[in-house]
Formats: sequence, C-alpha cells, structure tokens
Amino acid sequence: MDFKKISVNGLSSFLIVINRCAGLIFNPYKTMRRISEEKDVYQPALIIGIIFIYFKFIYYLRDKIYPATIVYILFIFNFVLTVYFFYFLSRLFNKNIKEVKLSSFVYTFIYSLLPTLIWFLSTSILYIFLPPPRTFSLMGKGFSIFFIAYSLSLLIWKFILVYLALRFSSKQNFFRIIYMMIFFLVWFIPYSILLYQLRLFRIPFI
Amino acid sequence: MNNINFRMKQKMNEVFSIEPNDLGTGYLTTFFKKITSYFKTMPFVYVIPFTFLISMFMYFVLGRFLIKLVTVLQYGF
Repeated sequence: MDFKKISVNGLSSFLIVINRCAGLIFNPYKTMRRISEEKDVYQPALIIGIIFIYFKFIYYLRDKIYPATIVYILFIFNFVLTVYFFYFLSRLFNKNIKEVKLSSFVYTFIYSLLPTLIWFLSTSILYIFLPPPRTFSLMGKGFSIFFIAYSLSLLIWKFILVYLALRFSSKQNFFRIIYMMIFFLVWFIPYSILLYQLRLFRIPFI
Repeated sequence: MNNINFRMKQKMNEVFSIEPNDLGTGYLTTFFKKITSYFKTMPFVYVIPFTFLISMFMYFVLGRFLIKLVTVLQYGF
C-alpha cells in the first residue's frame, strides 16, 4: 500500500517537475513564483536524483581521480552552503524574519540548477560526439560560435532564474539582490579556484 | 462560491507576495520594468538572437582565442 502511494506521488511529482521545467523556459517569472510556495518533497528529491545520475555518467568520461559519489557529496555541500548563505543574508536584510522561509530557498535554488544541468549534460554528450580540441577550420569556427552562443544563452537563463529565486525567497528589491550576489561571489570565486586546484570541479556545478 | 473566494484569495496572495521594485528614480524604475518585462515570458526569444550576435562579435574581436576558449569549456564538465 505504502509502495503504491510512494510510486503514485513520485510519478505525479515527476510530471510536475517536467511541467515546471517547461514553465521555467517559457514563463520563468510566474513559474518561479509558484515554486517558491512549493511544499512537495518529491520534486527536489527527483532533481537531486537526476543530478546524481549525471555525476555517475560523467565519471566514465573524466580522469576518474575521485569517485562520483564523493564529487556528488561535494556538490550537495556546495548547494547547502549556497542556500544557507543566501538564507542568512536575507534574514539580516529583512525586517520581518517570519517572511523568509528556508524551504522557499531550497525549492527555488533546486529548480535554478536546471540550466546548469542542461549545460553540463550537453557538454559531456558533445565531448563524446565532438571531442575537443576544436580546429580552426570553417566547421570548427562555426561550432565555436554556436557553442559560445548556446553557453551564453544558458548563462543568461541561469542569471534570470537565480535572480527570481532570490527575489521570491528573500522578498528583497533589485539592489539588495545584486549586493547579495556580489557577497556570494566574494567567497565563491576563491572557493571555486580551490576546487579547481584540487581537481574536483573544473567549472563549479552550481 | 467559497471555493472560488479561497482560490481568488490564494491567487491574490501569490501575486502580491513581494513588493514591486523601486530603483529610486521614476525614470530608472520605468526603464527597469520595461527591460524585465522581456525576461518574464519567453526570454529565449530575445536571449538567443542576442547571444548569437555577442558570440559573432566575440569571434571578430578575439579571433582564434575564442576557438581555444571553446576547447577549454568543452573540457569543463
């Protein structure tokens, strides 16, 4: 009985995740506002699960210095660190502390991982079919222009989603959100360099 | 009727959950609202042509460095 309930809940959450992902592409503002009110625990579990599968998949493509599970645990640690950082910063900025909910940060930030996951997954698939280095031929140049445009599009989408995640979770105005992002980058850039030096992440999965 | 009222109230709470952005001066706020309205629905309609233009521009400015950058990025996952 319990198994049936869990599987039905899981399936319905899976459909909601697909619907929300499409919503974040076509209607990011409205969708992120709905996500910030979310309470279904299956949805973040599903997304985190998909990311785990991704880390297992790229283990076979990378240098295999560290096991996939360790890299995945580090990703979870980075994610928790990011969410708590913004949560505490929002509590500092906000007069009405009761308005700031940790769950809202978790849900919105989980969904804002979507562009990251798409970029990392597509880059790893391209690594199989069109392995680097890129050449200076016409095809190489064309692909490079396409790849930069594709990466920039996903980066802009990521900025939109992170901004909206912060806007609906912290309930702060534009300037304060920009300050929060700057504070975040102050520690996150050196931290990313450290992770690069330790050969854990080349580009941080965040 | 009660159900409709409840849904209406829920929708109103959702819409007014955050204060509208105010950037200090009226001109700046209007400009900000105009710009952000493009990103609220179907942002890719504007983002994709914009990024293609940017990457073309980057190719003309950076030249071969851009191709090397793509190689580095392709190892970045």
